[in-house]
Amino acid sequence: MRKNPYKVLGVKEGASYDEIKRSYRELVKKYHPDRYRNNPLADLADEKMREINEAYEYLMKNAGGAYQYQSESYGHESSNASRGGSYRAQHQSQQSGHYQARQEYADESELERQVRAHINSGNLNEAQRILDRMRVRNANWYYLQGLVFLRRGWYDRGYTNIQRAVNMDPTNYEYRNALNSLNNQYYGYRQNPYHHGMYRRDNDMCQICGALWFADCCCECMGGDLIRCC
Amino acid sequence: MFGYVEPDKPELKIRDFELFRGYYCGVCKSMGKRYGQVSRLSLNYDLAFLAVLLDSISGEMPDGKIERCIVHPIRKRCVIRHNRFIDYAADMNIVLTYYNLRDKWTDEKNLLGAFGSAAFSGAFKKAAKRYGEKTERIKSLLGELDRLEKEKCPSLDEAAEPFANIMREVFQCPYVESEDRRKVLGWLGYNIGKWIYILDAWDDLEKDIKSRSYNPIVTQFQYDGGDLDEFRAKIKERLDFSLTYSLSECEKAYALLGAVKNTGILDNIIYSGFIVKTDKVLQGRCKKHEKESV
Repeated sequence: MRKNPYKVLGVKEGASYDEIKRSYRELVKKYHPDRYRNNPLADLADEKMREINEAYEYLMKNAGGAYQYQSESYGHESSNASRGGSYRAQHQSQQSGHYQARQEYADESELERQVRAHINSGNLNEAQRILDRMRVRNANWYYLQGLVFLRRGWYDRGYTNIQRAVNMDPTNYEYRNALNSLNNQYYGYRQNPYHHGMYRRDNDMCQICGALWFADCCCECMGGDLIRCC
Repeated sequence: MFGYVEPDKPELKIRDFELFRGYYCGVCKSMGKRYGQVSRLSLNYDLAFLAVLLDSISGEMPDGKIERCIVHPIRKRCVIRHNRFIDYAADMNIVLTYYNLRDKWTDEKNLLGAFGSAAFSGAFKKAAKRYGEKTERIKSLLGELDRLEKEKCPSLDEAAEPFANIMREVFQCPYVESEDRRKVLGWLGYNIGKWIYILDAWDDLEKDIKSRSYNPIVTQFQYDGGDLDEFRAKIKERLDFSLTYSLSECEKAYALLGAVKNTGILDNIIYSGFIVKTDKVLQGRCKKHEKESV
């Protein structure tokens, strides 16, 4: 049984096309696989993303904003389909990108490939065992070791290992990408809208009102008036 | 070791704060009723947070009552009651407090630890019986924590591991039916544990250096007896990364939990309370275990 698509997207039944789209975008940001890279819950996030996409595609076809939709006829539908599938297409390209990256490292040893496979399947002890056995400690080794640490929750060591991989081979896109992603997670959390929300902004509004009121009083003292109604 | 989980009060709606206090009082009363009045002295916000978090998954309305209690005899307060998640948080509080006190006695020969653990042993036995395997696992993890501290483990990540795993055990409540959700809760607990451990190590830095006790930050970053403030400034950024990254993992787990209620207070703690506390402690503006009145 399919879940209620409105509930999945967190909008009211009969929500408009724009509302659905807005909510969809928020959710994609929240559950994007980039955010859950190196996270043991990645599979759950993927599933959630699938649910969200299904709900979005369903609503785009069947309900919510059906008016705008039909009136704009066929062309809209195709563009809409591409929009609805936007995330999916992105995801696929990402996967293929991943694949390419793998081929690029065709020169990486059989053992390194095994480590990658174990990390992907969450078998960290096995990955660590192979890493410990490897003699050559090149940039790729540090990168993989960093991934294992991150996955375990050892963030300090994970970061230093990946940093080291980048230092050893600054041209490598994959390593730099991983390092950037770590920094993004850090800033993403520190600058989340909730933390920078509400009372700090309200405070500013109060200050503006207060300042206006004060200016008005001053003007009245001097015989003038800034705001007529008070 | 505890007491770092706190809401960011200025951001909090009164209604949510009352709710949080309701859970806190609920856990407190649940302990009093089932384990005797003394046990109530040990409660802190961390376990109240656990109760709020676990209960957020269930669709049942919280059963609130306005009551009086010994701690706050004058004003009546809202208390959330009769709830298995609240009872679970109370049980876990007993288990953790008992181990904590016993640890104090065996390590530091702290008399409070001796009396406390003696006072708690009855309650502990009762709770341990209910969660046999879980308490065994927590006990063995504490053994590991002890061992790493005695060996003066040179890695902060490694030293934090047993405590983070204890919190994983505590958060994985057996009353949560879905296995996926238990996994999510486990990861959330692990990362909170990690955060608490590192924050605590930072907070205790000066004290530990003075008393020459083990502190993982000292061993990891090889403090050489120089100026402490300089040392702090040098390593702050790296610790900040670990702390914030742990919190971002908490947040990701929380996003997957699918809470259906209590989201006002949970959002506040997870998106704001944690990071505000982190900054306070990192800047040394927070005296340890500074208890705010509830």
